[in-house]
Amino acid sequence: MTNTQSSIRPAFPVVLAIVALVAAGCGKTQPASFRLNMVQATKTAAPEAGLEMPWAKWSQDRQSQVATILEAMFGTPDEPLALPESGLDESKLRLAAGPVRSDIVGRKNGLYREHCVHCHGISGDGMGPTAAFLNPYPRDYRPGKFKFKSTWRDAKPTHGDLVHVLNQGIVGTSMPSFALLPPAQVDALAEYVRYLSIRGEAELALYTYAEQELGGDEKLPTTREFLVDEILTPVVEKWAAADESQIPIAAVPAGVDFGLPASDLANRESVARGKALFLGDGGCVKCHGVTALGDGQANDYDDWNKAIVEVSKEVAGSLDTSRQAPTGEMSPEKRAEHRTRAEWLHAFVEVLEGDALRPRTIPPRNLRQGIYRGGRRPLDLYRRLYTGINGAPMPGVGPSGPGGKGSVADAEIWHIVNYIRSLPYEFDGELGADRPMVAKDRF
Amino acid sequence: MKRSCLMLSLGLASVVLAVHGSASADEWGALKGKFVFGGAAPAAAELKADKDVEVCGKHKLLAEELVVGADKGVANVVVFVRDKAVKVNPDVAKAAAAEKVVLDNKSCRFEPHVAFVQVGQELVIKNSDTVGHNSNVATVKNPPSNNLIPAGGEVAAKFASDEAIPAQVTCNIHPWMKAWLVVRPNPYAAVSKADGTFEIKDLPVGEVELQFWHEKAGYIGEMTIGGKAEKAAKGRKKVAVAAAGTDLGEIVLDPAIFQK
Repeated sequence: MTNTQSSIRPAFPVVLAIVALVAAGCGKTQPASFRLNMVQATKTAAPEAGLEMPWAKWSQDRQSQVATILEAMFGTPDEPLALPESGLDESKLRLAAGPVRSDIVGRKNGLYREHCVHCHGISGDGMGPTAAFLNPYPRDYRPGKFKFKSTWRDAKPTHGDLVHVLNQGIVGTSMPSFALLPPAQVDALAEYVRYLSIRGEAELALYTYAEQELGGDEKLPTTREFLVDEILTPVVEKWAAADESQIPIAAVPAGVDFGLPASDLANRESVARGKALFLGDGGCVKCHGVTALGDGQANDYDDWNKAIVEVSKEVAGSLDTSRQAPTGEMSPEKRAEHRTRAEWLHAFVEVLEGDALRPRTIPPRNLRQGIYRGGRRPLDLYRRLYTGINGAPMPGVGPSGPGGKGSVADAEIWHIVNYIRSLPYEFDGELGADRPMVAKDRF
Repeated sequence: MKRSCLMLSLGLASVVLAVHGSASADEWGALKGKFVFGGAAPAAAELKADKDVEVCGKHKLLAEELVVGADKGVANVVVFVRDKAVKVNPDVAKAAAAEKVVLDNKSCRFEPHVAFVQVGQELVIKNSDTVGHNSNVATVKNPPSNNLIPAGGEVAAKFASDEAIPAQVTCNIHPWMKAWLVVRPNPYAAVSKADGTFEIKDLPVGEVELQFWHEKAGYIGEMTIGGKAEKAAKGRKKVAVAAAGTDLGEIVLDPAIFQK
């Protein structure tokens, strides 16, 4: 009797623990929720003089207000919402959103979580679980910037542009092709990307408004007029204008034959002209280097990474200054201000460590590899050259908008395309890759 | 009933305001002042040109994020009228609209370091250097742009909207190059000169709300005017403009605000 009792006793807590574990496992999981853009939320919440409540509470309140507003405007990852003014197609969003499942007619739902979320994250912030291991990092949709498109640099991509990227994938990166999905699914995913992007831009607009317009303890307005007219509409208008914002494509001039290899005699003069532009007015040489190996500029960042680099530098500098500040000589009022500021800076450091990926430089493309992320068709190369690459340091050689003037005439851009096409097949030593070149010898 | 009553009284109030506003209609006054650094003038760090050294290496390049003159004047402080609906002197508006603003890539730096352009006014970004530059204009409300400008070339731009704070202009080819673009909907903005002085001409007489901004300090939240320390949340400060002109005198800026 006593024997059995003593053998049960030590086992009892273990059983309890197992019951607890199983119960927790069986419990309902938390519904998916969007994450706030913490870097922007913190950046725009610098403490001000004359704040009545403690800073931490004030910034917490601001964040929960933004979260509430966004949920009212856009719903949740499981239940997306498309306000009529958003121009979004809610039925497509529903197909893409939510957990992976089949609906009553057997149609696949939850496409974003099936195909995209691992890298691009539930909020489209490009910080899914795999993100830190990928190079380049997955795109963060929230600033609303896209690289590979048919429109002017500052314009949004068309629906067709997003579908094209989904179908082609992005060669040279971890982005695969989704061409094997039924077109309706790709279509729904492209719309969901637009949704996450519009949502992200609206969030940014809220922070910017709060930083620039609100003082002290003022709260963000929550009227429909404000949220729709001031926050949502400016973003939606840009997306709505995408179809009319496509760049003009100049006629391919005589002496350019893309049906033949660039090395063909028929293309010889065009390639030579392209090379002169590459080294001259096109300015390509500045970053891609004389040999086009992409070695002309090595320490620049794209806009997404630059934002983190700049803010990190500022915060680190401020923290240094803050630590060295002579607090002993300060008035009590100044000291309180100093302390609040330090509190903000420390919170910022935590956010930068936890909510941002370690910034990486963006090397100019090595043009001798024949890998073109935005596509290898002459038309793709023409578009990249014409507008440059939005979000990347690459400037455009075409005009910046309709009626403008570029550094290279539209039709001439085709010669640069032809020259670039020739590079992967050109003998390396031809340009003198092994010796430095002086400017006067370039032509 | 209650609602229509409110609308009516609002309507009346706006009529009264309009009448009152027009009373001081055609009186205009200038506003001036001088920004002074409230400590020992810091020496500007020398920048090293590591790109296009053959051209850019010939110029002495200095960091321009905080420029303090020999007499402690602070250059490149931006002052503008915050109210976008402020009444504008028609003569000033006309004169400004006809003028082009030039931002030059010269000697591997931007000239001027801070440029002011009005909504609708033409901005010409040119390149007087013998090397190519690109001008990456990071506007927020206006579409950002990034054009390559070959040696001797230029691009023109117009802005449809104002910018709440100055927009950064950089050159990706020469990473040390940086400039700022102040875009306002009216002519009422100024950038302090090398000696720290600024002047905004022909402001409507009465009270106007100014906003003070500097690239290193951000919104200038505190300043000492006429020996009196004043707070200016988000760099906002109301001043009275007199028909005879208003001189804010020396506006002393605490070195600490530039060390954030």
